[in-house]
Amino acid sequence: MEIELISFGKIAEFINNQNIELDGIADTDAFKQYLENQFPALKSMKYKLALNKNIVQENTEITNSATIAIMPPFSGG
Amino acid sequence: MSEKKIKNIFVNGPIEPDFIADSIAKHNSKTAIGGHSIFMGQVRKDEIEGKFVAAIAYTAYEDLALEKMHQIREEIFDKYPLNCMHIYHSLGTVKTGEICLFVFTSSAHRKPAMAACSEVVDRLKAELPIWGKEIFEDETHQWKENI
Repeated sequence: MEIELISFGKIAEFINNQNIELDGIADTDAFKQYLENQFPALKSMKYKLALNKNIVQENTEITNSATIAIMPPFSGG
Repeated sequence: MSEKKIKNIFVNGPIEPDFIADSIAKHNSKTAIGGHSIFMGQVRKDEIEGKFVAAIAYTAYEDLALEKMHQIREEIFDKYPLNCMHIYHSLGTVKTGEICLFVFTSSAHRKPAMAACSEVVDRLKAELPIWGKEIFEDETHQWKENI
């Protein structure tokens, strides 16, 4: 399946927005593992995912054409 | 999600003092109001390892931030008897000394306006996907992190 990956803040400095073809990754926990293998710098960082504009609070199924955002800690205000 | 329209809170660049004055003036006709509370965030010239912050460049996951702000707004209106609430946050570059956040709440008596204003600021900082990149005078940068 294909997903759209978008990233923000300091994570956007090393992960570009891109469409990626994913096979064998069913949920957000597996996706985090995948991300941290692809981008080892993430392992030592705090970040949250948003799946289709919903902040991921617990492991969630990923379906085709999903948009997943990788978000470092917020610093608005 | 309620049917109320999702309001934009984002302003490109700094929030101008004239805009804030104008926003206050617009409440002249709302005579049920007896108290306003205003919070303004200003970009601070922090010193970090001998370097001074010159500006903060803000970016946001705008769609998600606006949805989240809408939800916070509804919850605050349910919790406090407010007449109105206005929220503006900068995107892009805001120099030290300029205003990057403007929260304005109004109620018949002061206490709900003051409590709501404070709670909105706290929640906005913790819950909205907005990022501030502190740009130093030598053009290096670091990313802010709200605690």
